[in-house]
Amino acid sequence: MFSRRLLLVSGKGGVGKSAVATSLALAAARRGSRVLLMGMVDALGLAIHLGVDDLGPEPRQTSPGVHASVLDRANALDEYLRLQVHLPRAMPTKQVTRALNVLVETAPGVREIVSMGKPIFEAQRRAWDMVVVDAPPLGQLISYLRAPATIERLVPTGAVQRQAAAMRRFLGNPERSGLVLVTLPEELPITETVSALTELAKEPLIDLAKVVANRVLGGLDVPAHVVAGLPDGPLRHAAELHQTLTTQQRFWLEAIGEATLLPQLFGLMTPGEVAARLTDLWDDA
Amino acid sequence: MSGRILLVTGAGGVGKTTIAAAAGVTSARRGTATLVVTVDPARRLADALGVGSLGNVPTQVAGEPQLWAAMLDVTASWEAIVARHADPEIGDRLVNNPFFRAIADRFPAAQAYAAGEQMAEFVENGAWDVVIVDTPPSIGGIDFLLAPAQVRDLIGGTLLRWLTGARLPARRALYRVAARPALRLADMVLGGPLLEEIADFLLDLRTLYDGVAQRAKSVDRHLRSARTVVVTNAYPTPLREARRFFEELPEGSVVPNAVVFNRELPHEWETITAVPGNGGDLDPPTWTALRDNLLRWATEARRNADARADFAARYRATLASAPWLPQPPTDLDALAGLVAAAPGLEEALFG
Repeated sequence: MFSRRLLLVSGKGGVGKSAVATSLALAAARRGSRVLLMGMVDALGLAIHLGVDDLGPEPRQTSPGVHASVLDRANALDEYLRLQVHLPRAMPTKQVTRALNVLVETAPGVREIVSMGKPIFEAQRRAWDMVVVDAPPLGQLISYLRAPATIERLVPTGAVQRQAAAMRRFLGNPERSGLVLVTLPEELPITETVSALTELAKEPLIDLAKVVANRVLGGLDVPAHVVAGLPDGPLRHAAELHQTLTTQQRFWLEAIGEATLLPQLFGLMTPGEVAARLTDLWDDA
Repeated sequence: MSGRILLVTGAGGVGKTTIAAAAGVTSARRGTATLVVTVDPARRLADALGVGSLGNVPTQVAGEPQLWAAMLDVTASWEAIVARHADPEIGDRLVNNPFFRAIADRFPAAQAYAAGEQMAEFVENGAWDVVIVDTPPSIGGIDFLLAPAQVRDLIGGTLLRWLTGARLPARRALYRVAARPALRLADMVLGGPLLEEIADFLLDLRTLYDGVAQRAKSVDRHLRSARTVVVTNAYPTPLREARRFFEELPEGSVVPNAVVFNRELPHEWETITAVPGNGGDLDPPTWTALRDNLLRWATEARRNADARADFAARYRATLASAPWLPQPPTDLDALAGLVAAAPGLEEALFG
């Protein structure tokens, strides 16, 4: 996993996507990689896990080997056309530029390809060994991954079309790009993960690098009849809660097959602590 | 209760749908004709409510004479808006336009607004005393409240203005003279006739404006009169979404009536830092495992308590806790029990 140039980290909202993305970037840096960690939706998720106030579009170093940035939505289209499609910097008139911005808002696939273009562009630069992306949530992921093919159909010729084709190949190349899907061992996140996995199996848009189940409880090695025999009180209630949850979690985990399990981190207060602990876990893995 | 609408909102994955369903059963059992409008519930919850195959049409919940349930299908709703506000020929053209899907999928505001129109219809229908709305996960945040104004702008021509210049041509013919040359130029750069098609689409969309603007006003009015409850848990993502209701709503908006912390552990665990005794008859490893387990969950309880206290210190809001049910409720009694077992929750939901 750490040999790829681009890792997209996605999952249903609230499953710990930003925490896992941050930990993967930190773990890769520990292995000697120069890493860019990019937020595609907002800066806050990554910023709180990195322990910085805010992130901007310019990559800034947040720890040895790790730079972080957030996608600049306002200038994304301009950058995409200039750096990737290699169009001349100035469009003929203001009106054309404005019209192109409307294109981003209305045409299927355009906003997505403009957003996806940036991390793919960065992943091809020599400045980084690896780009880890806090990607859009699971519900939107497939339309982002499909965007290059959508654009190829929408725009039949020209530089935009060629660039979209190159993007599709980069995403589809398992040696270069991989997807990390984060989930929780609960009904809704698992159901959504399973349907995303089914879609990706039908349509190989990107190689699945890993499924990560977050906040998994360790077993409580006490027989049920011993728990049931305890006097009424917190000791018994905590044991019952733990064992019921563990049973539920095992049931849901079976549905996703092979997955890397990250433990529930009890009582950790700050997102920074969570990211640091998860980073250590990748080292052990 | 003060309002006829109870809006249950918050980030995805916090148990909004369960809380909304539990509120529905509780309200119905208080003798109030109640409609729960829900979105994509988990399988077992859908079974509990008997809403497995529901569409937009409210269906009475079996065994609960005062309770109805309907599913909110946001894509169908958006098409319904077009059907209602566009003339038939333009409506057909719009729905079959490739950009239409993109807009419908793209703008959370459009989805949220569609849901809002549907909610308004149920409220105005008059068949229910209370309409409980569980907001869709993708628009669980404040977007739902901001949607009417945003959609009005979208349809009214924000995009069209960008596309065609500051002065919006009133008639199609004018647009062809004023804007088309620039769009042609941009299209040449792109390699396809995209922008010209988009301009045509936006001009069609604009014909919806009068109807939508009027409807948006009444949706907005309903939303302002609604009782709003934000559901969250102690994790950063949902908390951030909950804070937005207090920090990012424009001047003059109604702040949420209550914030429900879901999946709470028993509050008495918060003070447990040591477990006295030596386990008596239990063998030492079993005792150690049980003791450490309680201590771990107690730290979790303290973390939740700290998050709650932090929230209470920052914002003036009624806070309530809903217990962590290791087994999700699978029938109506279990749903009602969820509210009954949580001190302060009924008050938070219904005022």
